[in-house]
Amino acid sequence: MSDLVLGIGDFGVSKDPSTSIKTYALGSCVAVILYCPTIQAAGMIHIALPESKVNPARAKEKPGFFADSGLPQLLSALTKIGGPIKGKGVRVKLVGGASIMDKNEIFNIGKRNLLAIKKILWAHGLGAVAEEVGGTISRTVSINVSNGEVKIFSAGRGNWTL
Amino acid sequence: MTSSQEQFVQKEIQKISLPSANTMRLLEINSNPEHCLQDVIDLVKLDSALTARTLRIVNSAAFCPLVPINSIDRAVSYLGEKMIVGIAVTESCGKILNQPLEGYESPAGDLWKHDLFTAFAAKEVARYAKNGMEADLAFTAGLLHDIGKPVLSKLLENASKTTIDALDHGEAKDYLAAEKLVSGVEHAEVGYQLAKYWQLPAPIAAAIRFHHNPSEAIEEFQPLVYAVHLGDIIAMMSGYSTGSDSLQYTLDSHYENFFTFSSNELTKIISDTETAFRPALESLAGKEEN
Ligand SMILES: [Fe+2]
Ligand SMILES: [Fe+2]
Repeated sequence: MSDLVLGIGDFGVSKDPSTSIKTYALGSCVAVILYCPTIQAAGMIHIALPESKVNPARAKEKPGFFADSGLPQLLSALTKIGGPIKGKGVRVKLVGGASIMDKNEIFNIGKRNLLAIKKILWAHGLGAVAEEVGGTISRTVSINVSNGEVKIFSAGRGNWTL
Repeated sequence: MTSSQEQFVQKEIQKISLPSANTMRLLEINSNPEHCLQDVIDLVKLDSALTARTLRIVNSAAFCPLVPINSIDRAVSYLGEKMIVGIAVTESCGKILNQPLEGYESPAGDLWKHDLFTAFAAKEVARYAKNGMEADLAFTAGLLHDIGKPVLSKLLENASKTTIDALDHGEAKDYLAAEKLVSGVEHAEVGYQLAKYWQLPAPIAAAIRFHHNPSEAIEEFQPLVYAVHLGDIIAMMSGYSTGSDSLQYTLDSHYENFFTFSSNELTKIISDTETAFRPALESLAGKEEN
C-alpha cells in the first residue's frame, strides 16, 4: 500500500484502492477526511488556521492552510475525480483541533478551526459522521481508499480506528 | 534523581561535543544587549567555514536574491542575525539535535524542526512585547530550548508508555512532571546542566531551564523566557513536536504581563512563523546533503 502524504496546508484526493492518504502530527490543526463509498474515493485536507484574511498571499500559495480557502477546493477536487457535486452524500470525519493544557481563549485555535470548518460544512449541507477532536494530544491520521477506514496514531498511545 | 541516574546524565553530557569557539562567541554577542550587526559580520569574517556556508545559503534556492550576493556584509544583512545563529548552531549542534529521540518515540529530524519552528515563533512573539525586546535573542534561545531532550531521551528509552500512563492516571500534572516521575529529572533541568557545562550565556541558560515554568525565571530574563515558552507551545500547536510529549504541557497565562495579542493576531503569528520557517529549514537542511 502506498501513502499519499499531506503536509500542513496540503489537500489531496484519490480513487486508487491501493493508496492511503495520510497526514502527520495534527496539533491544533484539523484534518477533514472525506469518503465516497459508492465510487471508493477519498479526500483529505490538513487545515492549520480558520480564516485566510490574516495572510491572503499564503492562502493563494497554499489554500489548504486555511479552512475558508481550502475546504471548498477539497470538495471540488473530489467532484473532479467523480465524486458527487458539492460533496452530497460524502461521509465526513474530523480529526485534530487539540490544544495545550490550561489554555486560555486566545490559544484555543483548535476550537476556532473546528467551528470554522463546521460552518463551511453546514453551508454545503454536510456534517461529520464521526470525529476525534480536542484534547491535548497530537494525532497522525490516515484513510484507506479501498474501504474508507480511518486510523489514528499518537506517539506513546498507539493506533486506533475512528 | 538517584546517584546512578545523575552519573548517567553527567556522562551523556560529557559525550556531546562542545560547540565551536566561534559559535560560543556568536551566542555571547547575540546575548549582549549592546551589540550591533557589525559585531556579527566581523565574527563571520574571521571564520572561513562560516563565511562559505553563509554565502552558499544566501544564494540558495530557498532565498534566491535577485542578484548573487558575494560580500559577507551584504549576506549577513540580507539573512539577518538569526540565520547566522541558525547556521552556526546547525554546524555545532546539528548532530545532537538531529538524533531520533527514542524516549519520546520521535524520529530523527523532528527535534530540529521543533527547535527551529520554536525559534521563529519566539521571534514573532517578541514583536508583540509590551516593552520591546531582543527578538534575535528570542530566536537563539528558542533554537536551544530543548537541548536536554536528546540526553533525557536515553533515560526514558522504552518508557514513553509509562510516562503517558502516569499522566493519564493523574499521577503527574503534565509531561514534565511525568518524565520526572519516571526518570527522576525533567528535560529542562538536564538542558540546564548541559548549558552550564557549555557555559552558555545566562539568558539562554535561563530560557532552557524555565521554558515550561517561565514564572520561576529571574525577573530580568522573564520576557525572554516567556517568549520561548509561547514559541514552544506555538510549535506544538502547529504540529512541530517531538512525539509522545506533544501539547502535554501547561500554558502560563501570565505571559499577558509581557505580551499582548488577540486570538486573530495569534493566527497571524502562526502563519508568519510558517512563512519564515520554510526557507530556513530548506536551506539549513540543504547543508546536510552536501
Ligand atoms: Fe521543552
Ligand atoms: Fe520544546
